[in-house]
Amino acid sequence: MFEGWRQRVASGAILLALPAAWAVIPATSSHASGDRALGQYLSSECVTCHQLSGRFDGIPPIVGWPEETFVQIMNEYKSKTRNHPVMQTIAGRLSPEEIAALAAYFGSVAPAPVQREGGKS
Amino acid sequence: MNTNRRQFIGGAGALVATGALAAPAIAQAKPRVVVIGGGPGGATLAKYVARDSQGAIHVTLIEPLKEFVTCFHSNLYLGDFRPYDSITHNYSGLAKYGVTLVHEPAALINPQTKTVRLASHTTLPYDRLVVAPGIDIKFDSVPGYSEKASEVMPHAWKPGPQTQLLKKQLDSLEDGATIVMIAPPNPYRCPPGPYERVSMMAHVLKKKGHTKSRIIVLDPKPSFSKQALFSEGWEKYYPGMIEWQDPKMHGGIKGVDPSTMTVKTDLGEYKAQLVNVIPAQMAGKIARDAGLTNDSGWCPIKPESMQSAKDANIYVLGDASIAGDMPKSAFSANSQAKVAAMVIRGELTKSPTFPPRYTNTCWSMIETDDTVKVGGRYEPKDGKIAAVETFISKTGEDEDLRKQTQAENMGWYRGIIADIFA
Repeated sequence: MFEGWRQRVASGAILLALPAAWAVIPATSSHASGDRALGQYLSSECVTCHQLSGRFDGIPPIVGWPEETFVQIMNEYKSKTRNHPVMQTIAGRLSPEEIAALAAYFGSVAPAPVQREGGKS
Repeated sequence: MNTNRRQFIGGAGALVATGALAAPAIAQAKPRVVVIGGGPGGATLAKYVARDSQGAIHVTLIEPLKEFVTCFHSNLYLGDFRPYDSITHNYSGLAKYGVTLVHEPAALINPQTKTVRLASHTTLPYDRLVVAPGIDIKFDSVPGYSEKASEVMPHAWKPGPQTQLLKKQLDSLEDGATIVMIAPPNPYRCPPGPYERVSMMAHVLKKKGHTKSRIIVLDPKPSFSKQALFSEGWEKYYPGMIEWQDPKMHGGIKGVDPSTMTVKTDLGEYKAQLVNVIPAQMAGKIARDAGLTNDSGWCPIKPESMQSAKDANIYVLGDASIAGDMPKSAFSANSQAKVAAMVIRGELTKSPTFPPRYTNTCWSMIETDDTVKVGGRYEPKDGKIAAVETFISKTGEDEDLRKQTQAENMGWYRGIIADIFA
Protein backbone atom coordinates (compact mmCIF):
# COMPACT_ATOMS: atom_id res chain seq x y z
CA MET A 1 0.00 0.00 0.00
CA PHE A 2 2.74 2.40 0.90
CA GLU A 3 4.44 1.86 -2.44
CA GLY A 4 1.20 2.92 -4.08
CA TRP A 5 1.18 6.10 -2.07
CA ARG A 6 4.77 6.80 -2.99
CA GLN A 7 4.00 6.39 -6.64
CA ARG A 8 1.15 8.85 -6.36
CA VAL A 9 3.34 11.34 -4.59
CA ALA A 10 6.11 10.80 -7.08
CA SER A 11 3.71 11.44 -9.92
CA GLY A 12 3.00 14.84 -8.45
CA ALA A 13 -0.44 14.00 -7.14
CA ILE A 14 -1.50 15.87 -4.03
CA LEU A 15 -2.11 13.83 -0.96
CA LEU A 16 -5.42 13.85 0.73
CA ALA A 17 -7.96 11.67 2.36
CA LEU A 18 -8.13 11.34 6.09
CA PRO A 19 -11.30 12.32 7.99
CA ALA A 20 -10.48 13.54 11.45
CA ALA A 21 -10.67 10.14 13.07
CA TRP A 22 -8.93 11.40 16.15
CA ALA A 23 -10.25 8.50 18.16
CA VAL A 24 -8.23 6.00 16.17
CA ILE A 25 -4.91 7.67 16.87
CA PRO A 26 -2.77 5.47 19.08
CA ALA A 27 -1.98 6.95 22.45
CA THR A 28 1.67 6.06 22.09
CA SER A 29 4.01 6.04 19.18
CA SER A 30 6.70 3.64 18.16
CA HIS A 31 8.40 6.49 16.28
CA ALA A 32 10.70 8.32 18.61
CA SER A 33 12.98 10.53 16.52
CA GLY A 34 10.64 13.51 16.23
CA ASP A 35 8.59 15.37 18.84
CA ARG A 36 5.15 13.88 18.37
CA ALA A 37 3.41 16.56 20.46
CA LEU A 38 4.88 19.30 18.31
CA GLY A 39 3.95 17.26 15.28
CA GLN A 40 0.37 17.03 16.44
CA TYR A 41 0.16 20.81 16.71
CA LEU A 42 1.81 21.35 13.33
CA SER A 43 -0.45 18.75 11.75
CA SER A 44 -3.45 21.05 12.03
CA GLU A 45 -2.04 22.87 9.04
CA CYS A 46 -1.94 19.64 7.02
CA VAL A 47 -5.32 18.17 7.82
CA THR A 48 -7.26 20.89 6.04
CA CYS A 49 -6.45 18.86 2.92
CA HIS A 50 -4.94 15.53 4.00
CA GLN A 51 -7.59 13.54 5.81
CA LEU A 52 -6.53 11.92 9.06
CA SER A 53 -8.52 8.82 8.15
CA GLY A 54 -6.03 7.99 5.43
CA ARG A 55 -8.56 8.33 2.62
CA PHE A 56 -7.18 9.10 -0.84
CA ASP A 57 -9.68 11.45 -2.44
CA GLY A 58 -7.48 13.36 -4.85
CA ILE A 59 -5.00 14.48 -2.23
CA PRO A 60 -2.76 11.66 -1.01
CA PRO A 61 -2.93 10.29 2.53
CA ILE A 62 0.06 11.02 4.76
CA VAL A 63 -0.59 8.79 7.76
CA GLY A 64 1.30 5.66 8.65
CA TRP A 65 4.36 6.44 6.58
CA PRO A 66 7.86 5.41 7.65
CA GLU A 67 9.36 8.51 9.20
CA GLU A 68 12.41 8.57 7.01
CA THR A 69 10.29 8.55 3.86
CA PHE A 70 8.09 11.36 5.15
CA VAL A 71 11.20 13.40 5.97
CA GLN A 72 12.76 12.71 2.59
CA ILE A 73 9.68 13.77 0.66
CA MET A 74 9.16 16.91 2.71
CA ASN A 75 12.80 17.86 2.25
CA GLU A 76 12.36 17.46 -1.49
CA TYR A 77 9.42 19.85 -1.41
CA LYS A 78 11.39 22.23 0.78
CA SER A 79 14.31 22.25 -1.65
CA LYS A 80 11.83 22.48 -4.54
CA THR A 81 13.27 19.37 -6.19
CA ARG A 82 9.79 17.83 -5.87
CA ASN A 83 7.23 19.80 -7.79
CA HIS A 84 4.05 21.02 -6.18
CA PRO A 85 3.51 24.70 -5.34
CA VAL A 86 1.25 24.13 -2.35
CA MET A 87 3.57 21.61 -0.75
CA GLN A 88 6.64 23.67 -1.58
CA THR A 89 5.02 26.59 0.23
CA ILE A 90 4.09 24.48 3.23
CA ALA A 91 7.44 22.70 3.49
CA GLY A 92 9.41 25.85 2.86
CA ARG A 93 8.88 27.20 6.34
CA LEU A 94 9.31 23.96 8.25
CA SER A 95 12.57 23.43 10.12
CA PRO A 96 14.22 19.98 10.18
CA GLU A 97 12.92 19.52 13.72
CA GLU A 98 9.40 20.37 12.64
CA ILE A 99 9.54 18.00 9.68
CA ALA A 100 10.78 15.25 12.01
CA ALA A 101 7.97 16.05 14.43
CA LEU A 102 5.38 15.80 11.69
CA ALA A 103 6.91 12.54 10.52
CA ALA A 104 6.69 11.15 14.03
CA TYR A 105 3.11 12.27 14.47
CA PHE A 106 1.68 11.17 11.13
CA GLY A 107 3.71 7.97 11.32
CA SER A 108 1.88 7.14 14.52
CA VAL A 109 -1.58 7.60 13.02
CA ALA A 110 -3.29 4.51 11.68
CA PRO A 111 -5.64 4.86 8.72
CA ALA A 112 -9.29 4.55 9.69
CA PRO A 113 -11.79 2.24 7.99
CA VAL A 114 -13.20 3.75 4.81
CA GLN A 115 -16.38 5.73 5.38
CA ARG A 116 -19.09 6.82 2.98
CA GLU A 117 -18.83 9.87 0.74
CA GLY A 118 -19.18 13.38 2.16
CA GLY A 119 -22.37 15.40 2.08
CA LYS A 120 -24.99 15.47 4.79
CA SER A 121 -22.10 14.62 7.05
CA MET B 1 4.12 37.76 25.12
CA ASN B 2 4.27 34.97 27.70
CA THR B 3 4.30 37.47 30.51
CA ASN B 4 1.33 39.26 29.07
CA ARG B 5 -0.45 35.98 28.62
CA ARG B 6 0.09 34.99 32.24
CA GLN B 7 -1.13 38.37 33.37
CA PHE B 8 -4.11 37.99 31.12
CA ILE B 9 -4.94 34.60 32.55
CA GLY B 10 -4.96 36.16 36.02
CA GLY B 11 -7.34 38.80 34.81
CA ALA B 12 -9.52 36.23 33.16
CA GLY B 13 -9.77 34.31 36.40
CA ALA B 14 -11.04 37.38 38.17
CA LEU B 15 -13.59 37.92 35.47
CA VAL B 16 -14.74 34.33 35.68
CA ALA B 17 -15.53 34.98 39.32
CA THR B 18 -17.47 38.07 38.35
CA GLY B 19 -19.37 36.06 35.78
CA ALA B 20 -20.21 33.47 38.41
CA LEU B 21 -21.77 36.13 40.57
CA ALA B 22 -23.74 37.46 37.65
CA ALA B 23 -25.05 34.05 36.65
CA PRO B 24 -24.91 31.72 39.66
CA ALA B 25 -27.19 29.10 38.10
CA ILE B 26 -24.56 28.15 35.56
CA ALA B 27 -21.44 29.00 37.51
CA GLN B 28 -18.64 26.52 37.06
CA ALA B 29 -14.93 26.24 37.56
CA LYS B 30 -14.32 25.08 34.03
CA PRO B 31 -13.42 27.93 31.66
CA ARG B 32 -16.08 28.69 29.10
CA VAL B 33 -15.59 29.38 25.43
CA VAL B 34 -18.64 30.51 23.50
CA VAL B 35 -18.53 30.51 19.71
CA ILE B 36 -20.97 32.46 17.56
CA GLY B 37 -21.26 31.05 14.06
CA GLY B 38 -20.93 27.46 12.84
CA GLY B 39 -19.08 28.01 9.58
CA PRO B 40 -15.52 27.03 8.70
CA GLY B 41 -14.10 29.41 11.32
CA GLY B 42 -16.45 28.90 14.25
CA ALA B 43 -17.06 25.18 13.92
CA THR B 44 -13.35 24.46 13.45
CA LEU B 45 -12.50 26.47 16.53
CA ALA B 46 -15.18 24.77 18.62
CA LYS B 47 -13.94 21.35 17.58
CA TYR B 48 -10.25 22.08 18.13
CA VAL B 49 -10.68 23.71 21.54
CA ALA B 50 -13.01 20.99 22.79
CA ARG B 51 -11.01 18.12 21.35
CA ASP B 52 -7.57 19.31 22.36
CA SER B 53 -8.55 20.50 25.83
CA GLN B 54 -10.00 17.06 26.52
CA GLY B 55 -12.82 18.37 28.64
CA ALA B 56 -10.88 21.08 30.45
CA ILE B 57 -12.78 23.83 28.62
CA HIS B 58 -16.52 24.00 28.17
CA VAL B 59 -17.28 24.90 24.55
CA THR B 60 -20.66 26.13 23.32
CA LEU B 61 -21.31 26.67 19.62
CA ILE B 62 -24.21 28.98 18.79
CA GLU B 63 -25.52 28.40 15.29
CA PRO B 64 -29.19 28.86 14.37
CA LEU B 65 -29.08 26.46 11.44
CA LYS B 66 -29.03 22.71 11.96
CA GLU B 67 -27.57 22.15 8.52
CA PHE B 68 -24.73 24.16 7.07
CA VAL B 69 -24.55 24.66 3.31
CA THR B 70 -21.06 25.56 2.20
CA CYS B 71 -20.57 28.63 0.07
CA PHE B 72 -17.40 26.99 -1.14
CA HIS B 73 -18.22 24.58 -3.96
CA SER B 74 -21.71 26.08 -4.33
CA ASN B 75 -20.55 27.20 -7.77
CA LEU B 76 -19.93 23.54 -8.59
CA TYR B 77 -23.55 22.90 -7.66
CA LEU B 78 -24.58 25.64 -10.08
CA GLY B 79 -22.45 23.98 -12.75
CA ASP B 80 -23.97 20.53 -12.18
CA PHE B 81 -20.69 19.18 -10.90
CA ARG B 82 -22.07 18.22 -7.52
CA PRO B 83 -25.54 17.83 -5.96
CA TYR B 84 -26.90 20.18 -3.34
CA ASP B 85 -26.88 17.44 -0.73
CA SER B 86 -23.13 17.10 -1.12
CA ILE B 87 -22.54 20.68 0.06
CA THR B 88 -24.91 20.29 3.02
CA HIS B 89 -23.57 19.17 6.39
CA ASN B 90 -24.76 18.87 9.97
CA TYR B 91 -23.06 19.28 13.32
CA SER B 92 -23.58 15.81 14.76
CA GLY B 93 -19.88 15.02 14.51
CA LEU B 94 -18.95 17.71 17.02
CA ALA B 95 -20.80 16.09 19.91
CA LYS B 96 -18.12 13.48 20.46
CA TYR B 97 -15.63 16.23 21.31
CA GLY B 98 -17.95 17.63 23.96
CA VAL B 99 -19.12 20.70 22.03
CA THR B 100 -22.50 21.95 23.27
CA LEU B 101 -24.63 23.04 20.33
CA VAL B 102 -27.22 25.77 20.64
CA HIS B 103 -29.37 26.05 17.53
CA GLU B 104 -30.81 29.51 17.91
CA PRO B 105 -29.62 32.99 16.98
CA ALA B 106 -27.31 34.97 19.19
CA ALA B 107 -29.09 38.26 19.85
CA LEU B 108 -26.60 40.38 21.74
CA ILE B 109 -23.04 40.37 23.01
CA ASN B 110 -22.44 42.22 26.26
CA PRO B 111 -18.67 42.72 26.55
CA GLN B 112 -19.02 44.33 29.99
CA THR B 113 -20.71 41.33 31.62
CA LYS B 114 -19.01 38.89 29.24
CA THR B 115 -22.26 37.31 28.25
CA VAL B 116 -24.11 36.41 25.09
CA ARG B 117 -27.87 36.71 25.08
CA LEU B 118 -29.72 34.31 22.83
CA ALA B 119 -32.91 35.08 20.95
CA SER B 120 -34.75 33.08 23.61
CA HIS B 121 -33.32 35.47 26.24
CA THR B 122 -31.12 32.76 27.72
CA THR B 123 -27.78 34.28 28.72
CA LEU B 124 -24.50 32.46 28.26
CA PRO B 125 -21.44 33.69 30.16
CA TYR B 126 -18.02 33.33 28.59
CA ASP B 127 -14.37 33.62 29.47
CA ARG B 128 -13.47 33.85 25.80
CA LEU B 129 -15.90 34.62 23.03
CA VAL B 130 -15.25 33.72 19.42
CA VAL B 131 -17.22 35.67 16.84
CA ALA B 132 -17.41 34.13 13.39
CA PRO B 133 -20.63 35.47 11.87
CA GLY B 134 -19.49 35.67 8.27
CA ILE B 135 -20.79 38.47 6.09
CA ASP B 136 -23.88 40.59 5.78
CA ILE B 137 -24.93 41.94 2.40
CA LYS B 138 -24.93 45.71 1.91
CA PHE B 139 -28.13 45.73 -0.10
CA ASP B 140 -28.14 49.51 -0.47
CA SER B 141 -24.72 49.53 -2.12
CA VAL B 142 -26.52 48.90 -5.43
CA PRO B 143 -29.30 51.45 -6.06
CA GLY B 144 -32.66 49.74 -6.47
CA TYR B 145 -31.48 46.54 -4.80
CA SER B 146 -32.89 45.26 -1.51
CA GLU B 147 -33.45 42.05 0.40
CA LYS B 148 -36.85 41.82 -1.29
CA ALA B 149 -35.25 42.42 -4.69
CA SER B 150 -32.91 39.50 -4.01
CA GLU B 151 -35.92 37.20 -4.38
CA VAL B 152 -35.97 38.23 -8.05
CA MET B 153 -32.33 39.08 -8.58
CA PRO B 154 -30.50 36.69 -6.25
CA HIS B 155 -27.12 37.49 -4.79
CA ALA B 156 -26.52 33.88 -3.80
CA TRP B 157 -23.52 35.06 -1.82
CA LYS B 158 -24.83 33.50 1.37
CA PRO B 159 -25.47 29.79 0.96
CA GLY B 160 -28.88 28.14 1.09
CA PRO B 161 -32.14 29.25 -0.51
CA GLN B 162 -30.41 32.01 -2.49
CA THR B 163 -28.09 29.46 -4.06
CA GLN B 164 -31.05 27.25 -4.98
CA LEU B 165 -32.94 30.21 -6.44
CA LEU B 166 -30.03 31.15 -8.67
CA LYS B 167 -29.72 27.53 -9.83
CA LYS B 168 -33.43 27.35 -10.61
CA GLN B 169 -33.26 30.56 -12.63
CA LEU B 170 -30.16 29.41 -14.50
CA ASP B 171 -31.72 26.09 -15.43
CA SER B 172 -34.90 27.72 -16.72
CA LEU B 173 -33.21 30.00 -19.25
CA GLU B 174 -33.87 29.67 -22.96
CA ASP B 175 -31.23 29.92 -25.67
CA GLY B 176 -30.49 33.56 -26.42
CA ALA B 177 -30.89 34.63 -22.80
CA THR B 178 -28.84 37.41 -21.28
CA ILE B 179 -27.34 37.01 -17.83
CA VAL B 180 -25.98 40.08 -16.06
CA MET B 181 -23.76 39.73 -13.04
CA ILE B 182 -22.90 42.74 -10.93
CA ALA B 183 -19.60 41.82 -9.29
CA PRO B 184 -18.77 43.10 -5.79
CA PRO B 185 -16.22 45.73 -4.78
CA ASN B 186 -13.28 44.77 -2.57
CA PRO B 187 -13.09 43.41 0.04
CA TYR B 188 -15.57 40.58 -0.24
CA ARG B 189 -16.04 36.89 0.43
CA CYS B 190 -14.16 34.58 -1.95
CA PRO B 191 -12.28 36.86 -4.38
CA PRO B 192 -12.29 34.43 -7.35
CA GLY B 193 -15.85 33.29 -6.60
CA PRO B 194 -17.80 35.56 -8.97
CA TYR B 195 -15.61 34.55 -11.87
CA GLU B 196 -15.80 30.85 -11.11
CA ARG B 197 -19.56 31.35 -10.98
CA VAL B 198 -19.49 32.95 -14.44
CA SER B 199 -17.54 29.94 -15.68
CA MET B 200 -20.03 27.50 -14.20
CA MET B 201 -23.01 29.37 -15.62
CA ALA B 202 -21.35 29.40 -19.05
CA HIS B 203 -20.67 25.68 -18.70
CA VAL B 204 -24.37 24.99 -18.11
CA LEU B 205 -25.42 27.16 -21.06
CA LYS B 206 -22.84 25.55 -23.33
CA LYS B 207 -23.85 22.06 -22.28
CA LYS B 208 -27.45 22.84 -23.24
CA GLY B 209 -26.34 24.18 -26.62
CA HIS B 210 -27.31 27.73 -25.76
CA THR B 211 -24.76 29.26 -28.07
CA LYS B 212 -26.78 32.46 -28.48
CA SER B 213 -26.84 33.21 -24.76
CA ARG B 214 -24.35 35.56 -23.19
CA ILE B 215 -23.13 36.63 -19.79
CA ILE B 216 -22.26 40.25 -19.07
CA VAL B 217 -20.17 40.96 -15.99
CA LEU B 218 -20.35 44.53 -14.73
CA ASP B 219 -17.43 44.96 -12.37
CA PRO B 220 -16.75 47.91 -10.07
CA LYS B 221 -13.12 46.79 -9.96
CA PRO B 222 -10.50 47.43 -12.65
CA SER B 223 -9.13 43.89 -12.23
CA PHE B 224 -9.95 40.67 -10.38
CA SER B 225 -8.47 37.55 -8.84
CA LYS B 226 -6.93 35.04 -11.28
CA GLN B 227 -7.96 37.34 -14.12
CA ALA B 228 -5.46 36.05 -16.67
CA LEU B 229 -6.43 32.46 -15.92
CA PHE B 230 -10.16 33.08 -16.18
CA SER B 231 -9.78 35.20 -19.32
CA GLU B 232 -7.75 32.46 -20.98
CA GLY B 233 -10.31 29.83 -19.99
CA TRP B 234 -13.30 31.87 -21.11
CA GLU B 235 -11.76 32.43 -24.53
CA LYS B 236 -10.86 28.75 -24.82
CA TYR B 237 -14.15 27.21 -23.67
CA TYR B 238 -16.82 29.86 -23.99
CA PRO B 239 -15.83 32.09 -26.94
CA GLY B 240 -18.20 35.00 -27.44
CA MET B 241 -20.33 34.06 -24.44
CA ILE B 242 -18.76 36.17 -21.68
CA GLU B 243 -18.24 39.91 -21.70
CA TRP B 244 -16.41 41.40 -18.72
CA GLN B 245 -16.62 45.15 -18.30
CA ASP B 246 -14.43 47.19 -15.97
CA PRO B 247 -15.47 50.66 -14.77
CA LYS B 248 -13.90 52.33 -17.80
CA MET B 249 -16.13 50.24 -20.04
CA HIS B 250 -19.47 50.64 -18.25
CA GLY B 251 -18.82 54.06 -16.71
CA GLY B 252 -20.29 53.11 -13.35
CA ILE B 253 -23.15 50.91 -12.14
CA LYS B 254 -26.18 53.13 -11.67
CA GLY B 255 -28.71 50.64 -10.36
CA VAL B 256 -31.14 47.79 -10.94
CA ASP B 257 -34.89 47.57 -11.44
CA PRO B 258 -36.24 44.14 -10.47
CA SER B 259 -39.69 44.93 -11.90
CA THR B 260 -38.28 45.26 -15.42
CA MET B 261 -35.19 43.05 -14.94
CA THR B 262 -32.95 45.86 -16.09
CA VAL B 263 -29.53 47.03 -15.02
CA LYS B 264 -28.37 50.55 -15.73
CA THR B 265 -24.82 51.75 -16.10
CA ASP B 266 -23.49 55.14 -16.98
CA LEU B 267 -23.03 54.05 -20.57
CA GLY B 268 -25.85 51.60 -21.14
CA GLU B 269 -28.92 49.70 -20.03
CA TYR B 270 -29.24 45.94 -20.04
CA LYS B 271 -32.43 43.91 -19.96
CA ALA B 272 -31.70 40.43 -18.77
CA GLN B 273 -33.46 37.16 -18.04
CA LEU B 274 -31.19 36.52 -15.06
CA VAL B 275 -29.55 39.19 -12.93
CA ASN B 276 -27.10 38.10 -10.25
CA VAL B 277 -26.32 41.05 -8.00
CA ILE B 278 -23.38 40.55 -5.65
CA PRO B 279 -23.32 43.74 -3.56
CA ALA B 280 -20.70 45.12 -1.22
CA GLN B 281 -20.40 43.27 2.08
CA MET B 282 -19.64 43.84 5.76
CA ALA B 283 -19.12 41.83 8.92
CA GLY B 284 -22.16 40.03 10.31
CA LYS B 285 -24.59 42.14 12.35
CA ILE B 286 -23.76 40.72 15.74
CA ALA B 287 -20.13 41.77 15.34
CA ARG B 288 -21.14 45.26 14.27
CA ASP B 289 -23.62 45.59 17.13
CA ALA B 290 -20.93 44.56 19.63
CA GLY B 291 -18.63 47.32 18.44
CA LEU B 292 -16.09 44.91 17.03
CA THR B 293 -15.91 46.65 13.63
CA ASN B 294 -14.12 49.79 12.58
CA ASP B 295 -15.19 52.34 9.98
CA SER B 296 -14.61 49.80 7.21
CA GLY B 297 -17.43 47.60 8.50
CA TRP B 298 -14.99 44.77 9.23
CA CYS B 299 -13.35 43.63 12.48
CA PRO B 300 -9.74 44.55 13.21
CA ILE B 301 -7.77 41.76 14.86
CA LYS B 302 -4.33 41.18 16.32
CA PRO B 303 -2.40 39.18 13.73
CA GLU B 304 -0.65 36.98 16.29
CA SER B 305 -3.86 35.43 17.52
CA MET B 306 -7.05 36.68 15.77
CA GLN B 307 -7.89 38.41 19.06
CA SER B 308 -10.17 41.38 18.49
CA ALA B 309 -8.34 44.70 18.50
CA LYS B 310 -11.39 46.07 20.33
CA ASP B 311 -11.81 43.53 23.15
CA ALA B 312 -9.17 41.21 24.61
CA ASN B 313 -11.74 38.57 25.58
CA ILE B 314 -13.10 38.25 22.06
CA TYR B 315 -11.64 36.63 18.95
CA VAL B 316 -12.93 37.23 15.44
CA LEU B 317 -12.50 34.64 12.70
CA GLY B 318 -13.05 34.35 9.00
CA ASP B 319 -14.82 36.67 6.61
CA ALA B 320 -15.80 39.17 9.32
CA SER B 321 -12.18 39.86 10.24
CA ILE B 322 -9.59 42.14 8.70
CA ALA B 323 -7.00 39.46 8.10
CA GLY B 324 -4.44 41.47 6.16
CA ASP B 325 -3.26 39.69 3.06
CA MET B 326 -5.40 36.61 3.69
CA PRO B 327 -8.47 36.49 1.47
CA LYS B 328 -11.93 35.94 2.88
CA SER B 329 -12.17 32.21 2.26
CA ALA B 330 -13.18 29.02 4.04
CA PHE B 331 -9.57 27.85 3.98
CA SER B 332 -8.46 31.09 5.64
CA ALA B 333 -11.16 30.86 8.30
CA ASN B 334 -10.21 27.26 9.06
CA SER B 335 -6.55 28.22 9.34
CA GLN B 336 -7.30 31.22 11.56
CA ALA B 337 -9.46 29.05 13.81
CA LYS B 338 -6.54 26.74 14.54
CA VAL B 339 -4.32 29.63 15.56
CA ALA B 340 -7.02 31.12 17.79
CA ALA B 341 -7.84 27.72 19.31
CA MET B 342 -4.21 27.24 20.26
CA VAL B 343 -3.96 30.71 21.81
CA ILE B 344 -7.24 30.40 23.71
CA ARG B 345 -6.25 27.04 25.13
CA GLY B 346 -2.94 28.55 26.16
CA GLU B 347 -4.71 31.39 27.93
CA LEU B 348 -7.31 29.28 29.68
CA THR B 349 -5.42 26.09 30.51
CA LYS B 350 -1.77 27.11 30.04
CA SER B 351 -1.32 24.55 27.30
CA PRO B 352 1.78 25.08 25.10
CA THR B 353 1.57 27.73 22.42
CA PHE B 354 3.58 28.07 19.24
CA PRO B 355 4.17 30.79 16.65
CA PRO B 356 1.06 31.33 14.52
CA ARG B 357 0.97 29.86 11.04
CA TYR B 358 -1.62 30.76 8.50
CA THR B 359 -2.22 29.22 5.09
CA ASN B 360 -4.73 29.50 2.30
CA THR B 361 -5.42 27.92 -1.07
CA CYS B 362 -8.38 28.75 -3.30
CA TRP B 363 -9.26 26.48 -6.20
CA SER B 364 -11.46 27.71 -9.04
CA MET B 365 -13.08 25.53 -11.67
CA ILE B 366 -13.24 26.95 -15.18
CA GLU B 367 -14.50 23.92 -17.11
CA THR B 368 -14.59 20.14 -16.73
CA ASP B 369 -11.13 18.96 -15.66
CA ASP B 370 -9.74 22.46 -15.86
CA THR B 371 -9.17 24.01 -12.45
CA VAL B 372 -6.69 26.63 -11.25
CA LYS B 373 -5.54 27.65 -7.81
CA VAL B 374 -3.98 30.49 -5.85
CA GLY B 375 -2.64 30.49 -2.34
CA GLY B 376 0.11 31.19 0.08
CA ARG B 377 1.39 31.18 3.61
CA TYR B 378 1.10 34.09 5.96
CA GLU B 379 2.63 35.36 9.17
CA PRO B 380 2.15 38.35 11.48
CA LYS B 381 4.30 41.21 10.24
CA ASP B 382 4.15 44.97 10.72
CA GLY B 383 0.83 44.76 12.53
CA LYS B 384 -1.03 42.66 10.02
CA ILE B 385 -1.19 39.13 8.64
CA ALA B 386 1.22 39.40 5.75
CA ALA B 387 1.84 37.07 2.83
CA VAL B 388 5.24 35.42 3.12
CA GLU B 389 5.09 33.26 0.03
CA THR B 390 2.39 32.93 -2.61
CA PHE B 391 1.70 30.81 -5.66
CA ILE B 392 -0.76 30.84 -8.52
CA SER B 393 -1.49 28.55 -11.47
CA LYS B 394 0.05 29.62 -14.76
CA THR B 395 -1.65 30.32 -18.04
CA GLY B 396 -0.97 27.68 -20.65
CA GLU B 397 -0.62 24.82 -18.19
CA ASP B 398 -1.05 21.35 -19.67
CA GLU B 399 -4.29 19.44 -19.42
CA ASP B 400 -2.98 16.81 -17.04
CA LEU B 401 -1.96 19.41 -14.48
CA ARG B 402 -5.31 21.17 -14.66
CA LYS B 403 -7.10 17.84 -14.27
CA GLN B 404 -4.93 17.00 -11.29
CA THR B 405 -5.71 20.41 -9.79
CA GLN B 406 -9.40 19.63 -10.06
CA ALA B 407 -8.82 16.33 -8.29
CA GLU B 408 -7.09 18.31 -5.54
CA ASN B 409 -10.03 20.67 -5.41
CA MET B 410 -12.48 17.85 -4.79
CA GLY B 411 -10.09 16.21 -2.36
CA TRP B 412 -9.60 19.44 -0.44
CA TYR B 413 -13.35 19.79 -0.05
CA ARG B 414 -13.62 16.35 1.52
CA GLY B 415 -10.60 17.10 3.66
CA ILE B 416 -11.77 20.41 5.06
CA ILE B 417 -15.28 19.11 5.65
CA ALA B 418 -13.82 16.29 7.70
CA ASP B 419 -11.58 18.77 9.50
CA ILE B 420 -14.52 21.02 10.38
CA PHE B 421 -17.40 18.67 11.01
CA ALA B 422 -16.15 15.11 11.60
